[in-house]
Amino acid sequence: MDATSHITLASLAQQVLVGLSRTTILFIVSSGLSLILGVLRIPNLSHGSLYMIGAFVTYSAAVFIGGSTGFWLALIIAPAVVALLSLAVERGLLRFLYDREHLMLLLFTFALTLVFGDLVKLIWGSDYRSLTAPPLLQGSFDLAGLPFPRYNLFLLLLGPLVALGLWLLTNKTKIGKLAKAAAVDREMVAAMGINVSWVFAAVFCIGCFLAGLGGALVAPTQNITQGMDHTIIMEAFLIVIIGGLGNMWGALLGALIFGLTDAIGILVWPQFAIVFPYVAVVVVLVFRPKGLLQSTW
Amino acid sequence: MKKCTLLVVGLVAALALLVGATAALAKPFKIGMVDCYSGPPSTYTNDVRDALLLAVKKINAAGGINGRKVEVLTRDSKFKVDLGLAAAKELIMREEVDILVGTINSALALAISDLAAREKIPFFVTFSKSAKISGAKGHRYVFQISENTAMIGKAAAEGLAKLPYKKYWIAGDDYEYGHAVAQGIWDYLKKIKPDVKLLGQSWWKVGEPDFTPYITAILAAKPDAVIVATGGRDCVPFLKAAQATGFNKKVPFFMHTATELATIRPLGANAPEGVIGTSNYHFYYPNTKANKAFVAEFQKAYGRLPTVGALYGYITAQLIAGGYKKAGKVDTEAFINAVEGMVVPSPVGPVKLRAYDHQALLPMYLGVTKKVPMYKFFIGGDLVTIAPENAAPPVEAIKKARGK
Repeated sequence: MDATSHITLASLAQQVLVGLSRTTILFIVSSGLSLILGVLRIPNLSHGSLYMIGAFVTYSAAVFIGGSTGFWLALIIAPAVVALLSLAVERGLLRFLYDREHLMLLLFTFALTLVFGDLVKLIWGSDYRSLTAPPLLQGSFDLAGLPFPRYNLFLLLLGPLVALGLWLLTNKTKIGKLAKAAAVDREMVAAMGINVSWVFAAVFCIGCFLAGLGGALVAPTQNITQGMDHTIIMEAFLIVIIGGLGNMWGALLGALIFGLTDAIGILVWPQFAIVFPYVAVVVVLVFRPKGLLQSTW
Repeated sequence: MKKCTLLVVGLVAALALLVGATAALAKPFKIGMVDCYSGPPSTYTNDVRDALLLAVKKINAAGGINGRKVEVLTRDSKFKVDLGLAAAKELIMREEVDILVGTINSALALAISDLAAREKIPFFVTFSKSAKISGAKGHRYVFQISENTAMIGKAAAEGLAKLPYKKYWIAGDDYEYGHAVAQGIWDYLKKIKPDVKLLGQSWWKVGEPDFTPYITAILAAKPDAVIVATGGRDCVPFLKAAQATGFNKKVPFFMHTATELATIRPLGANAPEGVIGTSNYHFYYPNTKANKAFVAEFQKAYGRLPTVGALYGYITAQLIAGGYKKAGKVDTEAFINAVEGMVVPSPVGPVKLRAYDHQALLPMYLGVTKKVPMYKFFIGGDLVTIAPENAAPPVEAIKKARGK
């Protein structure tokens, strides 16, 4: 039997949709990373750890409150907790390091990953946790004869909303405009009498909020466990690099490429599906070493 | 004067002998455990350790091993081969342990097995599923208590061959365990049911965050049944994705340990129903006095139900105590001679340690995940026992694997 005969238009369309819901998570996490990279010029290695903390807090909040309400509230609480934590880190530590060279900042954020990793171990122990989606989002519905999970649909609807929110934030609000300006020339912004330090704090907070949101959203679909930070941080960095460092729309484009090649690869060549997204990254970098879109660096 | 000196020397010598003897008497018998006690694997390994500790407590209450108190030392390998191997060396050199026990990480189990052969220290493997441990790379000083991929393969194939499915799909973790289990099942299934056909295969990375695209792609290919060769921590998210996509309702699939408590309990009431699984142990089956007593004792000590690891820990302790008792002295070679072919009682009935390859012959239970009103989580239903003689590879196959 021909190995590819099961690839019909319906199965391809379904696979694209499944891939797009994964893209949503990747976009949310990597856009936060990209935002911080673009404005603060910090390659935040601890972004993945914040994603992990987001997932753990979601678990605890959802279990503590209980029921469907617990899950929905946890989706708001977890990113907020992560944002507060990042604010404390930024005000308490990071802001004293902005003038240092990149290597120092890289080392600092790497140290943070270790601290956050141990923090998670301290609070939640080394066991993994598992969270169930609320009944509304459980199960699947039929899509041209193939099942499509409700939770994936939820992610699909949420993705564009987050993208829209980010667009509004960066283009229509004062803080967004200041952040954009600070990304280009921070001395000039400071010379205009604006407290750049607080702009940075706000941007760092928003970026980390997105990491927490990503973690909260994946919580019901996978194990909440130590080590989930490593997987996501590598993927997020690859996405940011192929999209163009610091470019938010680049992160969207990168996430799309990564998520879709992954899903389609699984359908077309399942034995070697693991390599597909990475091959896509290599191809992009060969032809556009600085990423697809304009980098802010 | 001369007489006096002789007396003193004699006295001193006698004293030294006495001190030496009491020192030997007081010196505890040491069991060194190296395993991953942090991170996801600890779900499985904690029960091995705790059941062993519980059994050791009883052994000590009954006078220890040949009059020596048993002491258990544990080391966390953090699932890293270098850390685990260093810990094993430290246990041998500094703590001078008499026995080594561990580990869930196959690469580490094989590394410690090499060390055990060189140092001539018996090593009991309590969770790794690598068939190489008691197979191709087996030797006099290594013992495998947990079932291995060859046994899983044979047991699963026995069960699957009875079902009417012909077109299969194989999916699993892209590392040794996944490939070994899939290979084990498929080779044997093809042998006993030649008309089965393999439609295709999918392999994902260990710790894959999202199984949904894999499942939808498999469903699109419309196989009769799917063999899922995934292990450890990936089982839970895979079953979650199976539940979300309704995979289990559309295509039946097999997954080793799907019916195991450690795998199914985290899913609570939200597990996929009807998944075919195999396991060495269930706290509710077999419904015998021995098993009930074991469960009650474990639950009383730790406040939780025992999972399959508890069985491995218990059997290990019984073999160690039984072997030395039979040998009559604390001597490694005498112990090995005594423990080879030994049969010990266990919650699943008498278990034999096969003399040739040092593999514990445990029965395997095949069943499907089922919801019952008694528990808040799913259990294995319609359990069928696959006798160890049918699951373990024959001694001839082991000889061949070892190149003899």
